[in-house]
Amino acid sequence: MQVSWNWLSELVDLSSVAGPQALADLLTQRGLEVEEMKTQGVGLEKVVSAQILEKKQHPQADRLSLCSVSLGSGEPLDIVCGAQNMKAGDKVALAQVGANLPNGMKIAQGKIRGEVSNGMLCSESELGFAAQSEGIIILPPDTELGLPLAKIMGLNDTIFTLKLTANRGDCLSHYGLAREIASALRVKAKKPIAELVQFKGSPIEVSLNAGEGAPQFFGCYLEGVKVGPSPRWLVSKLEAVGSRSINNIVDATNFVMLELGHPTHAYDADRIEGKKIGVRIAQEGEKLPLLDKTEITLVGTELVIEDGSRAIGLAGVMGGGNSEVQDSTTRVFLECAEFAPGLVRRGKTRHQKQTDAAHRFERGIDPQNLPFVISRLAHLVVELAGGKIVGGASAQTRAAPAPRPIEVHASYFNSFLGTSLETAEIENVLLSLECQVEKSQPGKSLAEKAAESGAAAETLLLISPPSYRLDLNIREDLAEEVARSVGYDKIPSTVPQLTTAPTASATEPAVSRLILVDRAKDALVQLGLAESLNYSFTSAQWLAQFGMKSSLKVVNPLSVEHEHMVPSLLPGLVHNALDNWRHSFGSESLAIRLFELRPTFQFKPAASSDGAVAGTDGAVAVPAATGETETGVEEKWKLSFVMSGPRSSQALRAEQSEMDFYDLKAVVENLFANLGTKGIRFMPASASRTPENEILKLLHPGQSVEILAGNAVAGYFGMLHPGKARELKARAPLWIAELDWEVVSKMSRGATESRGFKPWAEFPPMERDFAMVVKNDVAADKITQVVLKAGKPLAKTAKIFDVYRGSQVPEGMTSVAVRVIFLDEGRSLQEVETDAASSQIISALQKELGAQLRT
Amino acid sequence: MIQKLDAIGGQALRDIAAATQLDVLENVRISVLGKKGALSEVLKGLGTVLPEERPKMGAAANEWKRQIEEALTIQKDKLESAALNIQLAQERIDISLPARLPHRGALHPVTQTTRKLLQIFSRLGFDPMTGPEIETEFLNFEAVNIPKDHPARDMQDTFFMGPGVVLRTHTSAVQMRALRSKKWPVRIVCPGAVYRSDHDATHSPMFHQIEGLWVDKNVKMSDLKGTLEFFAQEMFGSESRIRLRPSYFPFVEPGAEVDVSCFLCKSKPVDTCKVCKGTGWLEILGAGMVHPRLFEMAGYDPGEVSGFAFGMGVERIAMLLHHIPDLRRMFDGDSRFLTQF
Repeated sequence: MQVSWNWLSELVDLSSVAGPQALADLLTQRGLEVEEMKTQGVGLEKVVSAQILEKKQHPQADRLSLCSVSLGSGEPLDIVCGAQNMKAGDKVALAQVGANLPNGMKIAQGKIRGEVSNGMLCSESELGFAAQSEGIIILPPDTELGLPLAKIMGLNDTIFTLKLTANRGDCLSHYGLAREIASALRVKAKKPIAELVQFKGSPIEVSLNAGEGAPQFFGCYLEGVKVGPSPRWLVSKLEAVGSRSINNIVDATNFVMLELGHPTHAYDADRIEGKKIGVRIAQEGEKLPLLDKTEITLVGTELVIEDGSRAIGLAGVMGGGNSEVQDSTTRVFLECAEFAPGLVRRGKTRHQKQTDAAHRFERGIDPQNLPFVISRLAHLVVELAGGKIVGGASAQTRAAPAPRPIEVHASYFNSFLGTSLETAEIENVLLSLECQVEKSQPGKSLAEKAAESGAAAETLLLISPPSYRLDLNIREDLAEEVARSVGYDKIPSTVPQLTTAPTASATEPAVSRLILVDRAKDALVQLGLAESLNYSFTSAQWLAQFGMKSSLKVVNPLSVEHEHMVPSLLPGLVHNALDNWRHSFGSESLAIRLFELRPTFQFKPAASSDGAVAGTDGAVAVPAATGETETGVEEKWKLSFVMSGPRSSQALRAEQSEMDFYDLKAVVENLFANLGTKGIRFMPASASRTPENEILKLLHPGQSVEILAGNAVAGYFGMLHPGKARELKARAPLWIAELDWEVVSKMSRGATESRGFKPWAEFPPMERDFAMVVKNDVAADKITQVVLKAGKPLAKTAKIFDVYRGSQVPEGMTSVAVRVIFLDEGRSLQEVETDAASSQIISALQKELGAQLRT
Repeated sequence: MIQKLDAIGGQALRDIAAATQLDVLENVRISVLGKKGALSEVLKGLGTVLPEERPKMGAAANEWKRQIEEALTIQKDKLESAALNIQLAQERIDISLPARLPHRGALHPVTQTTRKLLQIFSRLGFDPMTGPEIETEFLNFEAVNIPKDHPARDMQDTFFMGPGVVLRTHTSAVQMRALRSKKWPVRIVCPGAVYRSDHDATHSPMFHQIEGLWVDKNVKMSDLKGTLEFFAQEMFGSESRIRLRPSYFPFVEPGAEVDVSCFLCKSKPVDTCKVCKGTGWLEILGAGMVHPRLFEMAGYDPGEVSGFAFGMGVERIAMLLHHIPDLRRMFDGDSRFLTQF
């Protein structure tokens, strides 16, 4: 809202305020934030009125004139001017040398095409009066010469832009704000005066048919008015605060709203049919033409103003186009009503009409003030447009609300705020805010009791806020009034006391969950991955690239890019990888190592019985709240990563190489080691339990893994399928993984779980290497399993340390070397024992795997 | 015999001094002190010497042996250190060549900032708590005193998922879940992603918040101030000050906007300060005393307890701390950005 200093000072004595900046600070400190402050006339300091004595053609330029200009005294000045709309004798606005105009232009003495110019004749746009303008300003002939333009135009105001919070509807006017300032300055605001209209004798009758939706309606009938332009004082007052002048009648309603905060409306009385006006709930499908030349179709929940035969306004939002005041109007009917804030808001939101009226009604107006407001308006209309008041009409569905006193102990304020204010100070604050304060001393018995215990008797305060403060209903509201009036800086700083021991939170599921999340993130950071954060929504089209469909979508997304809730984190991370490639340059391969650990979103089928419809065939489901806390949505956390590029961040060429499957596998294994995840097994895609899984389908069939944790599928990792990579224009092989965080965390070590220290062997181990040739399809882990089983109980570990395929071995065969460690924790091993175990291993390898042992 | 000893000894010392290789030196040692060495040979003839002269002879021989051994040790050290010096010279490398650098990972600045905040508040006794990102409209709005058809809803442009279901616009819903599931005292901080329908350099449709809630008997507004002062000093340095301005959030009463003094330009604000833009203050928090309506909604007796709550945007704090000019960088997945923190 824009507020004028000059207007405010008509309504409250501002002489004790140091100036506009001090006022802005005062308001901000009281919770009425001043966002911007504009002083009129800034940049016009060296612009004065002047008269053109002589106008000649510029000898060098057709479009320029040479003017000799007088300031009334002193030598005339030569000015070069490019405008065409002036003639000798005209009075104009002259920017003198040294002027620094509002549009940023600096005026210096100069030569234009060889002719000296000692200033500039200004247009409206150059002076900041208009965004665009043609020609220079021509001032009225009676303008005195040599005067500052700001003075001539009356530009001596400061305009504040306030960002008011939704609870302070009472400050949406100059008088409302003046009241607030008066409270701060401990003076009285000057309420405008108007003789009350008699609410009888109106030819148009008022009726209310919307119950609580419209509790009060005051009307006033005037005749003999003449619609025309508003006087200068009114136009400039409205324009100063950003309101455009329309005609004297409309301007009067706007003036009253800006002065008193109550929106009103003026109808052409002759266009109100059936001599009746009222308020009712709209009918579904009803059409209503509005002032802004649009026509809306009502849905049946809005409040409308009606006459004898049709809707003539969207109540509290905008008047109807079928009843508005026209140039020929001579009889007007004025409306000042109270509407339920929620209904006004509904109408405004439904039909997208952000009006000043709706803004005020949805925040609530002073329910006690309606007769005064309409009287003020009626007299103003007569003053501006002539005519006379014929009579008023009114209807009320309830009596004006009685004051609602709030009971508070005087000590409450200090104990709640932590302050040590005197009771008198608190009372003064409340009185300055126009609250009524009644003190009630405690009964005699209570006072005696208090005296016995040595405490002062408690004074009970009965506080009735003024009718316009709809936001003051409970004692906490009053505490805020006291706190902001004395200043929040008067509240001391204390530290809250722990009245119970802190919770042993490590065992709380929510906390241990966070601990595990942190542990996983730390592990991945140690492995050289950076954490990425993507939006929880993406486009259906992007998901389709990965064979995925969301089961949930945003009803009102910002765009299709932000519509579908993600069922997986991989599409986002792959997008990141492609973006990173896109803006990389140079010939080196780009390291991409990103992870994300966040929820993904699914429709929960279990909730579908309760009215919500589960999506079939990938159709998006619409979750509906079931009860107060259930949404029918399941949030499944996933841990995903994408990797590509060189093994190390930096190394000489000879030592550098591109990462491959086993680097990805290392990250996965390291992560599980860090989390203490139990029961992990890696299955080749060919042995997958979930061959139809969309992530598995995204992977290279020969370089991918399904992770099992116990009996559950814990995720997948591998190379992004080369076909998909080509389709996405991936610049290098991309290694991807997605883990089901719920499964992983269930199988991982808890926050307080013991690591179970294991001592190491005291006796020396023995080692033996076995070299063999096996068929290509014999998996390495099969070999180690056979070795460990056959070498029981002495063979403790078996490690593959060399693998070879090529000309030295037959086609279709692989040479594999295994190192086995033999150990007995209790004693030194004998050579013969190791030999015996070795022969068992060899025969098992031959028998079970058809291995040919090499010596 | 003495002459013979002197001759052998003198020759040995000269040979030792002349040796420039360790193997030559070793040969000298063997030829003099070895089993069949010159000195040993002479000592073998000790038996032929007169008994009264033997001690003198023996002493002379031992003296030579000592001198020779000492000379050998000195010369050996000298030769070994010379050899080591040659080796060291040969092994000199260019230490300015690039390191063999492993990849450096990093936590997202949002995660880093969240962790720091949780740590600060945990010192005062707050426990972390989380909740779902898709919430009921009831918990997100009604239960925290933002009724339907109320203009306060304009403060938070909301994404709807379905009837009565929204993407949460703040983490306040978690506080309400906590109040409904626990008995007081309640001391929690709730971190998490929140969503609002807004997108430009300073607004993101998804961002992160941390909200704190402290509910107990006799909680005062001064406790809120002390808590936030502690937070500001832990987060931005011990000289930090806070300033509360009255404001309005439907879930608190009284409500406040909280500014923290600029940690970069400190007490003398300069217009060019890239953190506070010359105002000297950073708008960081919203806070206030828990509205009694929330206690009623949670089944508490508002006469029995009071509490304070506060909330802040995690990205905003991270951006201030690291001078990040554009919020959108946080969600780009750009390695150039993510590996800087």
